[in-house]
Parts: sequence; structure tokens; C-alpha cells
Amino acid sequence: MTELLDSTSSSESSTMTESSAPAISAGDGPLKMTTRNVDVFYGDKQAINDVSIDVTMDNVTAFIGPSGCGKSTFLRCLNRMNDTIPIAKVTGDITLEGEDIYAPKMDVVQLRARVGMVFQKPNPFPKSIYDNIAYGPRIHGLASTKEDLDNIVETSLQRAGLWGEVQDRLQDSGTALSGGQQQRLCIARAIAVDPEVILMDEPCSALDPIATAKIEELIHELRGKYAIVIVTHNMQQAARVSQRTAFFHLGTLVEYGVTSDIFTNPTEEKTRDYITGRYG
Amino acid sequence: MNSTATFAEERNPTDWQGDVMQKRIRKRYAAERRFKALGLGAIILSAGFLAFLLIVMVGNGLRGFTQTELPVEIDFPAMTGGAAASQFEGANGQANLRTLGVQDIVNASVQIQYGEKGTELFSAGGWQAVSAAILTDPKIVETKTTLYLPVEAEIDVAYKSDGSASAEQKVTELDDKLSTGFNKNFLFNSDATDPMQVGIWGALKGSLITMFITLIIAFPIGVLSALYLEEYAPKNRFTDLIEVSINNLAAVPSIIFGLLGLAVFLNLFGLPRSAALVGGLTLALMTMPVIVISGRNAVKAVPPSIREAALGIGASQMQVVFHHVLPLALPGILTGTIIGMARALGETAPLLMIGMRAFIATPPSGIVEPATVLPVQIFLWSDEVNRGFVEKTSAAIIVLLLFLLTMNALAIYLRNRFETRW
Ligand SMILES: Nc1ncnc2c1ncn2[C@@H]1O[C@H](COP(=O)(O)OP(=O)(O)O)[C@@H](O)[C@H]1O
Ligand SMILES: [Mg+2]
Repeated sequence: MTELLDSTSSSESSTMTESSAPAISAGDGPLKMTTRNVDVFYGDKQAINDVSIDVTMDNVTAFIGPSGCGKSTFLRCLNRMNDTIPIAKVTGDITLEGEDIYAPKMDVVQLRARVGMVFQKPNPFPKSIYDNIAYGPRIHGLASTKEDLDNIVETSLQRAGLWGEVQDRLQDSGTALSGGQQQRLCIARAIAVDPEVILMDEPCSALDPIATAKIEELIHELRGKYAIVIVTHNMQQAARVSQRTAFFHLGTLVEYGVTSDIFTNPTEEKTRDYITGRYG
Repeated sequence: MNSTATFAEERNPTDWQGDVMQKRIRKRYAAERRFKALGLGAIILSAGFLAFLLIVMVGNGLRGFTQTELPVEIDFPAMTGGAAASQFEGANGQANLRTLGVQDIVNASVQIQYGEKGTELFSAGGWQAVSAAILTDPKIVETKTTLYLPVEAEIDVAYKSDGSASAEQKVTELDDKLSTGFNKNFLFNSDATDPMQVGIWGALKGSLITMFITLIIAFPIGVLSALYLEEYAPKNRFTDLIEVSINNLAAVPSIIFGLLGLAVFLNLFGLPRSAALVGGLTLALMTMPVIVISGRNAVKAVPPSIREAALGIGASQMQVVFHHVLPLALPGILTGTIIGMARALGETAPLLMIGMRAFIATPPSGIVEPATVLPVQIFLWSDEVNRGFVEKTSAAIIVLLLFLLTMNALAIYLRNRFETRW
């Protein structure tokens, strides 16, 4: 296992075929986040049971699984958004760059800047497009001059593929954009604080197919610049955008591996059933 | 597959054009029409009540802004022994005027024109209008001038409407001389014993100061409490208890807040009786629960997705609250504040408890000076025996309503400015 975790050069398929049990790691490229034996409870109810996954820098990681299986819950552990739910309790080890993010000395505010999040429903602030992007850099003091800030806004919008569409109306309200544009605005807003990881929770579920295609294209472009984790209930989407896929079922991690393997040659019966549409 | 087939066989096709259906449709339309008629009726009825109230108030009240006058010709050069206009200009004007003895001059002039008992026709403080006239235009002391002075209250009432028999008789005698003028006293004076001399300014100023104190105390404390309870406080039995208590406080009769103010601010803290400060504090106690409740509702109505968005890019809890939640909740908070303040503005009972029912003849010049407020003034005047106070009471009500309208208009303007367009 350790060998697998550290392997950076071995080819994807060989790594996976060697592993038999549900893999902790589908490691390839530098590790960004690791999770070990994570349990999550909502009150007495266990929503995540002993999940261990590694997130690498160079790959897009997809979480798939039937509704209610705990994908969002687990994703929200990675930037401690679960802290906002009083009854949620997280145990296990989760690290970012080797640092334990649940350690007492970890600053949650900074963690959430380093691990950005894009939500299911586009949620721009009811402010101008410019202010939507500039808000994060402002509160973290990332820009010292107006030019710096303008620069950050422009590059963030460019990276999110939105600059061309909005450069003439940066002062318009962010909520006046179309759904797909709003979601890209939210991605740009996350990018603006220069995160290391971007978590996306079903970012396309409220969007039409064309807007979805644009977001998927964007994820391709962002790959490598940020470690990306995407939750999706759309298996084609997982196959299209990700290199690693984790299949969750009833709060447990059933299988984690190279996306192409999961979709063409899953080791687990449950994964096969889900992928072939027999339930879910 | 099979089951749907049997289902279709069992069921008769619905006859959408049949009699039963048509009857149902007619009934539905009739119900709709009835409801519309009822709603319209309710609106018309309440509009009628409102119109009635306004017509009565304005009809009575407008007379309070006027006064009945008689002309008095004053031969200043003869009476003053040749006073110069320059004496009454500048800083010493007031003092020189006092030595002049305006009251005697006016009384003498009145007696010349209206006989020995002429002074009884005029309002006792009417001569002050002459002093005011000299101060505004000192040149008149060098000429023979005719000034219009307010008549005595009984005659005023008799001239405007029905008065006592003796007053009515005097009105008939003087009919060609009597006229109606604008009552400046009412806008610039304070309470007085003579209805011809009373004014609303003292009470208006008292209300302004009291409302200001209520606002600066109740608004920040109310808003901060609402934000803390919604955004920070853990949800447990203790906070539930606080919520219930606040809801109950909003329903407590206002006079009880007056007793509380009396016990705490006057007896415990030893603050002066009848002061705007104590009135404002007492009304703030009463207004705070209203602001907290409406504030909590407004804060609750802010979509959680906005909080998540801000937290997700690393905003601290306080930044979430002050950058996002508060601005979005502000219009709702302001609405609640207006309702609370409007109630406080019209409140009489708690202020009576803290001694704001005194006769205050000078406008308050600070927050600890004895003061009165508009509703208390209305209450006091409505209790007067002298018939001249009836129209003054109505006029004061008009002023109170105008105050209320101005306050509401301002608040609606502010609310619309802060409203977020989604
Ligand atoms: N705030 C919450 N409080 C209590 N239970 C929750 C909460 N959020 C999610 N759950 C429960 O946790 C389980 C996993 O939910 P979730 O992570 O949202 O699933 P998914 O995103 O895979 O659809 C579900 O059974 C859900 O009912
Ligand atoms: Mg989910």
C-alpha cells in the first residue's frame, strides 16, 4: 500500500490491477490530501463509515454513488464545512499537504481559502460580478493595490472561461447571469483566493447540457493547476472529467481507482451493478 | 402493464362536458366572485373608516391652526414718548423692549378703541404678538400701526363655531371687525393655560428627542441580539427560553414598561422625572423585543446558500454576518424597526408612569430637562375644561400623524435603498 501511495511514475493501469481490496489510494502524482478511516456522524446516525481516500494534484477525483450515500458529507469534511452543522461529528485523519486539518491549531478560515468549494446550486453574492470575485482576495488581503485586484479579477474570470462574456459588464449584478454563467462565476470566485484544492458538489446538476459541457471543459483546463474533487450523480460526467473515481454506497467506500478501470472493469459487484444501471 | 389495463377498464371515461362538470365549473366561478366581492367590501369599509377619521380630524384640527383676531391701532410715537427704531435692533433689542412696557401700551390702546372693558375681549397673552412684531420690524414704533391681536378663547370658539351665549353676542356685535388669521403660536409655543397661547413645539421637540434616544438604544441592541441569537447562539433549551421570553415581552402591555421604567430608571438610578432620557429608555425597552423578533425573521430569511458561499471562500463567521447576512436582512429589520418606533411614538401610558404628564411651558433643551411628548400633550389637552382646547387637541393629532407619516416615509425610502435586487 505504501508503495502505491508513493508511486508517482508507474502507469495507472498497472497500479490498479495490482490492487485487490478497495484501494485507499489511486495515487499518481504528488499527494494533496489524504484521508484515513474517516467516520462522520449526524447525531447518532453514521453517514460515513471508515473511508480512506487520497487526492492527488494532477488528477480530477470523482465521487459517485446513489443519492444519500454520503458523497456530499464526505466532500464537506475536506474543507470542514461540516463544522457549520452542530450535530455533525467527524473522526479520522484528514490532511492537507501533510497537515492535519482537524488539528486544534488549524485555522478553519485559512483552510477554506486553501480548499475552495463550488456548490450544487450556483450561489453568487447579490453583488456586482466584480465584487463577487474581489470579495475573497479583499478579505484575505491578497491584493495591495486596485490594479492588483483588477488583475486577480481578470485572471480568475479568464481561468473560469467567463471573461469574454462579462468583461464589458463587470458592474452588473452576478445574479443577473444565466445559471451556467453563475456557476462559472462561482468557480472564478473560488479560484480568486488562489486555492490548492477545489471541491465541487454536483456543480452541473442545476444546469442545461450546454452549460454542463462548458463546466466540464473548464474542469479539464483547470486540471493540474488545482487538485479537483467533483461529486456527481452523472456517471458519464465522471467518466468524461475524472481520472480517479470513488464509488460510495451507504456511507462506505466500495471502490476507488482509475476512472477507466472503474467503468470498464470494476472489481466490486456493487460497482458493476451501479454502473450498468441496475440500481441507483 | 397488466394492472394499468384493468384499471382503465374499471373506470368510466370522465365526461368533461357533462352537466355535473358544468355545474361544478359554475360553482367554482361563483365562489371566486363571492371571495372577490368580500375582499373588495373589506377594503372599501376600511377605506371608509380611514376617510371618516381623516375628515373629522382635519375638519376640527385645521381650525386649531387659525386664530380669531381683532385690529388694534397703536399710536407708538404718542404712547412711547418717541422711541427710536434703532433701540430695538441688535443685541439690546430684547432688554429695551422689556423696559418699554409693551403690555401697558397695548392695554391702553385697546381701552381707547374698545372701551374700559375692552381688554376682556383679548387673549391675555396677546400683547406678546406686538413685542414679536416690533422685534421683526422695529420701524413700526415710529409710526401709528394697526396690528391684529388674538381674541379671548370663548370668542374665538364662538366665531369659529358655536360658543356660549355671551360670547356669541359679542361676536354679533364685533362681527365686521373680527377676522381669521394664521396661528403662529401653535407652531412655536409650548403648553399654556390659555388655549389661544398654547403651541405644539415643546411636545414636538420632546417627541423628537425621546424617539432619538429610543432609536439609538433599541436599534443597535435589538439588531445585535437578533444577529447573535440567529448566527452564533447554540440552539438549546436556554436559547429557546430566551426566544419565548422575547416573544412574550413584545406582547406585554406598555403601561408595565412604564412601571419598570419608574422602578429602574427613576427609583434605582435616580434619573430625573419627566425627562426625555427616561422616556426614551422606557420606550426603548418596549421597542427592543419588536426589533429583535423582526430582526430574527429577517436574518432567518437570508438564504443559507449565501452563508455557505462566503464560508466556502474563507470568510470568518463575523465577516459572513456583517458583509452578507446583515445587508440582506436590513430591509426586513428596518420594517420591524418602523413598526416598533411608530408604536413608541404613539405611546402615552408608560410615559405617564415616569412623570411625563407635567405642565411643561418651555421646550426641553436637553435630554434631562423636563419634557412632554405629542401623545401625552394630546391626552392632557383633551382633558382640559376650556372649550378652546378641543380644536387644539385635534390639531395636535394632525401634527402627530404628520410626524408618523414623515417617519414612515423616511423608513420606506431607506428600506428601498437597501433592498437587494436578485
Ligand atoms: N445536515 C444533516 N443533518 C442530518 N443528516 C444529514 C445532514 N446532511 C445529510 N444527512 C444525511 O447523511 C446522509 C448522506 O447525505 P449526503 O452526504 O447529502 O448524500 P449525497 O450527497 O451522497 O446525496 C443522508 O442519509 C442524509 O440524510
Ligand atoms: Mg449531495
